Amino acid sequence: MSAVRTEEFMVNMGPHHPSTHGVCRLLLTMDGEKVIKIEPYIGYLHRSIEKICENRTYHQCIPILDRFEYVTAMSCNYVFSLAAEKLAQIEVPERAEYLRVIMLELNRIASHLIFFGTTAMDLGALTPFLYALREREYIMDLFEMTCGQRLTYNYIRIGGVSRDIPAEFVPKCREAIKIIDQKVDEYMALLNGNPIWQKRTIGVGYLSPELAVAYGVSGPILRASGVDFDIRRDDPYSIYDRFDFEIPVRPNGDVFDRYMLRLDEIKQSVRIISQALDGLPEGEIKAKVPLKFKPPAGEVYSRIENSRGEMGVYILSDGTEKPVRVKTRGGSYNHLQVLPEFATDILIADLVAIFASFDIIMPEVDR
Amino acid sequence: MNLIPIVAVELQPIFAWIYRWLEGLGLQGTLLTVVVYAGLGVMVFGVLAVLALFLVWWERKIAGHMQQRFGPMRNGWHGWYQTMMDGLKLLQKEDVLVDTRDKVVFFWAPVICFVAAFLAYVVMPFGDGLIVADLNVGILYIMAVTTFTVISLLMAGWGSNNKYALLGGMRSAAQVVSYEVPMVASILTVILFTGSLSMVDIVESQSGLVFNWFVFRLPFGPVAFMIYITAATAEANRTPFDIPEAEQELVAGFNVEYSGMKFAMFFLAEFVNMFTVSAIAVTLFFGGWQGWEFIPSWIWFLGKTFMVVLLLMLFRWTYPRLRVDQLMEFAWKILIPIAFVNLIVAGWMKYAGWYW
Amino acid sequence: MTRDQLKDYIGSKYASLMTPLDTGRFDPMFEVKADRLFEVSRALRDDENLKLDFLCNMHATDTRENFEIVYSIASITTKLRLDFKIVMPYQNAEIDSVQEVWPAANWYEREMWELFGINVKNHGNLKRFLLPDDWNQGHPMRKDWDAPDFVRMPEIQ
Repeated sequence: MSAVRTEEFMVNMGPHHPSTHGVCRLLLTMDGEKVIKIEPYIGYLHRSIEKICENRTYHQCIPILDRFEYVTAMSCNYVFSLAAEKLAQIEVPERAEYLRVIMLELNRIASHLIFFGTTAMDLGALTPFLYALREREYIMDLFEMTCGQRLTYNYIRIGGVSRDIPAEFVPKCREAIKIIDQKVDEYMALLNGNPIWQKRTIGVGYLSPELAVAYGVSGPILRASGVDFDIRRDDPYSIYDRFDFEIPVRPNGDVFDRYMLRLDEIKQSVRIISQALDGLPEGEIKAKVPLKFKPPAGEVYSRIENSRGEMGVYILSDGTEKPVRVKTRGGSYNHLQVLPEFATDILIADLVAIFASFDIIMPEVDR
Repeated sequence: MNLIPIVAVELQPIFAWIYRWLEGLGLQGTLLTVVVYAGLGVMVFGVLAVLALFLVWWERKIAGHMQQRFGPMRNGWHGWYQTMMDGLKLLQKEDVLVDTRDKVVFFWAPVICFVAAFLAYVVMPFGDGLIVADLNVGILYIMAVTTFTVISLLMAGWGSNNKYALLGGMRSAAQVVSYEVPMVASILTVILFTGSLSMVDIVESQSGLVFNWFVFRLPFGPVAFMIYITAATAEANRTPFDIPEAEQELVAGFNVEYSGMKFAMFFLAEFVNMFTVSAIAVTLFFGGWQGWEFIPSWIWFLGKTFMVVLLLMLFRWTYPRLRVDQLMEFAWKILIPIAFVNLIVAGWMKYAGWYW
Repeated sequence: MTRDQLKDYIGSKYASLMTPLDTGRFDPMFEVKADRLFEVSRALRDDENLKLDFLCNMHATDTRENFEIVYSIASITTKLRLDFKIVMPYQNAEIDSVQEVWPAANWYEREMWELFGINVKNHGNLKRFLLPDDWNQGHPMRKDWDAPDFVRMPEIQ
């Protein structure tokens, strides 16, 4: 049979492909079913957010940054506000900080639920996606109740939040996190014991901690590789140092660990939210920030722990109303960068599983 | 040639009346046979087309209810004519063709797929005597014609001149050929006890009490059924073995370049195939059309088949998909050894007479 | 190590390589000469007390007079964080690649090359990826870049 001539062929996975989560294009070199080379091509969703921000005032930047990472738009609002507050040294009222933490953690849960659903769907189980969206709906309702929006919130502003929560928010939020906490156990029961699920995920797509750190991989993926690092604890921002929560870490660095770690994180987020709801003080929700907000000249890079890893914003101010430079950093950018390292002896189905477990979304990469 | 005995007992008066009417028209000999068989073919085709439409709707409803939603609701009561409207839409659609396709292969692939899906029903006993032709090699014939499907999938993959389609076609070829082996081994277990390949004989050998159904013949009956249903899921290209059209990996696999009615033919053929494998399962393991006599035999057959179809649908909406190498491993390292051990045990028990 | 201690530590140990700047509003900010970049980055990563092994962010800024290239780095083990920047003239801007120290720099440098026109030495894979492949209208993130005008369709008589 050695006379049979075989050759490698190139497959364009994307920009329109069901499992590239948007418009990512991976140029695969394949040997039959085996992927031997991956080349990511990005830029199909490039909206030049950074350039737009240079032509806007600080307040106007927040709504456009909603689109930077629309699955966790609260984090985008927050990280920019945090940077602007650090520049102008604004003290944020207590109640606003609590509200911000509640919203950030709710949004983290919503994002992880989307991850759970889409990962299961990419591995062929279609039903969990609908279950995850059902639970996400509780959170969307809470957001809609608070800021009137379900996707791009524009809620966290420089110096505080845009409006106070309605009276029925706290009981509804408690109810929602209680339901979600129970449902996470149900999700685990649905998939973890399934031999097909285990075969598809355990031991697939191993990412070593050294490689992860070298490529700037952050967030759940880094922790699933056994690196105990979380910005919420190690470079604390807001009031995260007041809450009692654990940072889940898993040692194996495969698809299964990355999936389990996110479900564990949902449980921890539920803990944080219930503590924040208990400690929610009365008072102002917004510091006095002038409409013509002119931070003093200077530069700052602020970073937070988003559901997709480290999210950062760098602002360079020259003392005028508009920033000189806004640079956004999303976790997915680095995660997509490390993807070509996996092109050793994996099948196309594994590639889909790895891509899904990285939870890459393209607006964060292309900006 | 007397055709009357092979039609259903309940429906016999109608068939007999039609037969006499045709004879009264002056048809005789070969011409009469041709007309009768053509009529039967059209009838089977019509019944199956309706069944396939129903199955599409049913699958969508089951998927919907499993996923906390309703599924189609707008067209009629609980959307009962949704699939017909979908079919109409597909009929009206522009047939988008790729310039680089292999014209002949691309055209004939859906046709072969569609025809092959219906061929098995020539020997399918829908009810007591309700069978088009009781071939004495019935089950062998079914195994032979259902394999045509894989040729059509391979043709579709090759003819589309698309890499995803080609991968899908290759996967389906590998998969169907592998799973044919355990499937045939489990069917052989049944044939060992019936001693006949004829579908009618197989059904009749399971007559009497429920415990005469082959699935309850311990210990090899249930094992054979499990192997059969696993292999059948793979044959029908359904989750967890739907890698030929794995949506998240290959977009749509072999039918990625098909649109309009050509796509609808693949789609309907898939559902007819699902019905076929379920019907074979019922015939071989669940006593076919047998049941209490106050319910017509063809209702028994349809009811049992729908139960097996329901099982396949529950599989589909519950399980993730296997990877292609794991799929092959499962076939060759697990299913085939079990199937052959089961066959040997069954053969030995038959020889020793340890069965009832 | 707190932020002030970090500033003092670097001021004493790497005084010849890094000059502290007072523009950083939260984390310490330093300036590095372009030709010492590789040396500095390697020293920061391998220093036992710092272990700055994580490249958070890296980007260029056009201040109309010159380019500033800012590296935001952090440590996973010692939890430290600092920024340093390189200031270089507008014409023939060119930097060394730091991929050997932080492989994550690969795409950031590519993006910088594409959007600002800053050449990266020893990069190895300078290909377009954010802009269209046939882009020939300059480097859009520069301040002197104007969006190509709308082309209005002529009115039909």
